[in-house]
Amino acid sequence: MNDTSIIMKLLPEFILLLGACGVLLIGVTRASLRSSITSLVTFLVLAAALGASLQAGSPEDGTYAHLGLWLTSLTYYARVLTLVIGMLLVLANWHQPASTERGEYMGLILLSLLGLLLTASANDMLILFFAIELVSIPTYVLIAMSRLDKRATEACVKYFFLGALAAAILAYGLSFLYGAAGTTLLHHADANGVSATLPAGSAMSSEALIGLLLVLGGLSFKIAAVPFHVYVADVYEGAAAPMTGLLGFVPKFAGFIALIKILAAFQWDLPSQVMWLLWILAAASMTVGNVLALLQKNVKRMLAYSSIAHTGYMLVALLVGPIAGRGPLHDGIAALLFYIAIYGAMNLGVFAVLTSFRIGEREMETLDDLGGLSRRAPIASLALAICVLSLMGLPPTAGFLGKLFVFTSAFSLSTTHAFHGPLIALAIVGVLNAAVAAAYYLRIVAAAYMGEEKEPAIASGGFPARLAFCCCSFPMLLLFAWPIGLSNQAQSATSDIVATAQHSNAQLAAVDSNIALADDAALSRILDEPSSTNPTSAKRDRNE
Amino acid sequence: MDVFIAEQSWLLTAIIFSPLAGVMLLWLPPYGDARGVRRSAMLYSLVTLGLTIYALYAFQQSAPQVSAGSPGFQLEQRASWLSLPGDDFKPAIDISYHVGIDGISIWLLVLTAMLMPLCIWGSFSAIRNREREYYSLLLLLQVGMLGVFCSMDLLLFYVFFEFTLIPLYFLIGIWGGPDRRRAANKFFIFTLSGSVLTLAGILYLAYYAYTDLGYITLNIQKLTELGQTGFISPGVQWWLFLAFAAGFAIKVPLFPVHTWLPLAHTEAPTAGSVILAGVLLKLGTYGFCRLSLPIFPAASRELAPVIATLAIIGIIYAALAAWVQRDVKKLVAYSSVSHLGFCMLGLFSMKVAGVNGAVIYMINHGLSTGALFLVIGFMYERYHTRSIDDIGGLAKKMPWMAFFLVFFTLSSIGLPGLNGFVGEFLVLLGTAISAGTSDMRPAGPLGFGYVIPAALGIILGAVYMLWMCQHVLFGPLKEPPNTPDTSTGLTTDLNKREISILVPLALACVCIGVYPKPLLNSFQVAIEQHILPLGTVYATDIEPSRGRYEIPIHREPARTQHVKHARIINNLPDVDSSAKIVVDTQRPTDAPYSFPMSQDTVITSAFDLVKTPGADHIE
Repeated sequence: MNDTSIIMKLLPEFILLLGACGVLLIGVTRASLRSSITSLVTFLVLAAALGASLQAGSPEDGTYAHLGLWLTSLTYYARVLTLVIGMLLVLANWHQPASTERGEYMGLILLSLLGLLLTASANDMLILFFAIELVSIPTYVLIAMSRLDKRATEACVKYFFLGALAAAILAYGLSFLYGAAGTTLLHHADANGVSATLPAGSAMSSEALIGLLLVLGGLSFKIAAVPFHVYVADVYEGAAAPMTGLLGFVPKFAGFIALIKILAAFQWDLPSQVMWLLWILAAASMTVGNVLALLQKNVKRMLAYSSIAHTGYMLVALLVGPIAGRGPLHDGIAALLFYIAIYGAMNLGVFAVLTSFRIGEREMETLDDLGGLSRRAPIASLALAICVLSLMGLPPTAGFLGKLFVFTSAFSLSTTHAFHGPLIALAIVGVLNAAVAAAYYLRIVAAAYMGEEKEPAIASGGFPARLAFCCCSFPMLLLFAWPIGLSNQAQSATSDIVATAQHSNAQLAAVDSNIALADDAALSRILDEPSSTNPTSAKRDRNE
Repeated sequence: MDVFIAEQSWLLTAIIFSPLAGVMLLWLPPYGDARGVRRSAMLYSLVTLGLTIYALYAFQQSAPQVSAGSPGFQLEQRASWLSLPGDDFKPAIDISYHVGIDGISIWLLVLTAMLMPLCIWGSFSAIRNREREYYSLLLLLQVGMLGVFCSMDLLLFYVFFEFTLIPLYFLIGIWGGPDRRRAANKFFIFTLSGSVLTLAGILYLAYYAYTDLGYITLNIQKLTELGQTGFISPGVQWWLFLAFAAGFAIKVPLFPVHTWLPLAHTEAPTAGSVILAGVLLKLGTYGFCRLSLPIFPAASRELAPVIATLAIIGIIYAALAAWVQRDVKKLVAYSSVSHLGFCMLGLFSMKVAGVNGAVIYMINHGLSTGALFLVIGFMYERYHTRSIDDIGGLAKKMPWMAFFLVFFTLSSIGLPGLNGFVGEFLVLLGTAISAGTSDMRPAGPLGFGYVIPAALGIILGAVYMLWMCQHVLFGPLKEPPNTPDTSTGLTTDLNKREISILVPLALACVCIGVYPKPLLNSFQVAIEQHILPLGTVYATDIEPSRGRYEIPIHREPARTQHVKHARIINNLPDVDSSAKIVVDTQRPTDAPYSFPMSQDTVITSAFDLVKTPGADHIE
């Protein structure tokens, strides 16, 4: 394995790193130059990285143990998703910070996205930790830079202190895992990573259990799960709207990838205390997020609480994990990856709409500000409505399919599994929460379509922000009608992770025996539809 | 000709999505004036109506073959949506865009397609702002409703079912009365809360069917087969029935979850009320009829007394509530709750006559209540009030309006000769004979005890409807000041446009009242095949308990009602030869039989079972 091949394999990451440096350099050039080209260069860097990722394709066998990296199909999925959402983020942020700081701002966005890509490649607990911090540290600065407002500074300070605490908890937990396993590698082909050396399930040692709980705690902060959610509303409100779009996706995605990797190292064979802990985290996140969102009048705060609720939905899928079988309707991880892709886009879409208007000199952010938007800007309010209905999980939007996959995976755990009952209960908590959530999401739509205009909304943000919300909203309808492409990608993204998790899992045996018992005739019948069972063709035969 | 028709699988898709194409055309430049928008919306809805009538023709052409034992869904079309072929690692998924119609859905389709142009035409003078949005939303609503009636995939059904919420939410919330936002929110949250539980039920059903079939399917026919052959255990059926009922009962609406309806009806614009009463409430009863009854027969039987009791409480309570209303629109809204109670009663009699009555009741209620809302809407446009206290004696001033109001009132209260009577009679008949076995079906859960309070509801219905007519139309003339308002170009009495809207509805009422046979025949075939399948062989106890047996039943044409023979196909490769199948033919005269299971056991008739070598009769 020579070094050039590694560079080629990590080309998207290198492009982002060099691009970030380049954009930072643009930040110190003439003002006229940097205000005009910084965003464009950032966008092109991301496009180049996306091209490189697509060119590289899904890696066949990418274990680089000496670098602590493992390039899997998950890496590929995360790369493409991150870069696509990243491009939309840059569009939404195009005119955002004062032009004096735009170089630094865009450079830091690129660094944060780079951290996300590295999280998806990490196979070593140290690299994982560094990658997650690389995601977080730029966001602290970005929040403060995103607008000239005391609230932004306040949000930055809150986020920084709590983030630092979470990082400490995470590092502490990882050190316990290292102590228990004797290696920092999560997975190793020669069977000496955490996944092979640590006994899982009820045999888990108390050091490993403590480590796992601390890691869950630290990562719960990144994904904004209850009870580590208290910062979310203030930070969302303080940051500028397009920056909030980034906060809703990038740290959350990084946290979930890290969780997937850690749980896969334990082969998803978790002691029941940990399962119940995740159960409570999921139920509490959904419920607390949705109930608190009901009380909000500020759209950004509302979406902050809704992001906690969405974390809860995704935790349901994480809890199911890959053990219920494969296919997007069984595999919780595939469901999670599908969900977060949809969530990233629809959440950003709402913030991009908020970015595109201002009320006088301030940002559009309360429900009253949205009043009368549908007459002033029909396309923007249609995009807003689609994104919000998708967040609500209503057909015909992709958000519906996201919820569908998550809850189906929760139902499909085999009846012999101890968590069959609790997961069904959790899914019911989830669907009821979806109904509660409708109450506050509707207020956003109602404000835009039925509210009275108090102060006129003035278009700002320009063409890029408009492009961003169009790209975030209208594809939700297309993805609803043709979800197979994305769901197949999400499915294949889990294959490597799942392969490591499934070997030792007794559940799989039950699932397999089900499939083996399947009625072959019936199976083949549905597959060669419609030729054999279509009554109209039978009728035609008779007539001839 | 038949061959030509059989190939028209595109027809239903064209019908469902033709209003969507209309919406797109409405938003394309050149933007016409409001008048152009109105007229084009009307034109697009007429195109949908034309296609639907063509589908009715195509359906009738091929209908005779249906009764001879073929699956009975026609004009089917199927396209992959979430379907995936399985492999060694993952099971196949069969969740597709799958549409088709049978004898029930075709008429509901016709009802929907017929009401929509009338609603659009009726909105010409009432809606004066944001017209392009208004007509787009009406057409979008139509997409959802048509889709529900055509869906043969449960998830597709749910998708259309939920989608109807969105356009109606906007229709009520933007163009409604003074309390519109609260009404729209209440309507949305109420219906959504119920239907999310339905979604949970659907997903669990998919999982449950998967454990039996080995692949994931939400094909309604397949699930019906599973339910009818007893593969869904009664305990699971019970929970799933409740989950489905949560969504459908709110939509119907069944007492005590009806409270959203009067508010939504009162605040909605006229067309919204017409569609809400005419079609949307039927989505609930249609759901019970198409899904709950056939897929969960045991649970339906068990819970029918509860549902029927709630229905009867609803009939009486809503009738009494309607009686004391001062708002004409609210009165008709409560009458809807009362009428839909009859519908539920008929469905849960679980007799062909009762279900037949319930289905024709759906159509009738759509016609007469829809028309009543239209008449009241026309009155409101002139007087800007719906309060019985403010108006009176309008018959002299508005003879046409008076004629139609009385006509549709009579139709609604079930005057013999008009449509309402047919449905009411059959529903009560079905309920009365429910406990018997005269139709070769197992004894139903209801009985004569349910007929008496329901009949009382009919009397109350006549009382409050006629009371309303009397106050509005007769007695001394009473008008609010400065009315009738003719400033928008309306005449004092109904104008030609308004009369032309009501005439087709009145004609339909008369036709169904005088000669309901084509509808009833069409429903009967569908009910016997899909809702209450006849002579179903219930494999009640199969050993070994895992695995699956195909028990298709071949019948003589629907009229003769005898099980001809059952064919038990054993598809387990390594079956224990001592295993036995217990078959319950569900014929009142037959006791269950059991016989050893071997490859391809053929039972030539239920009676012949005794003679089959090795078959032993268990008492």
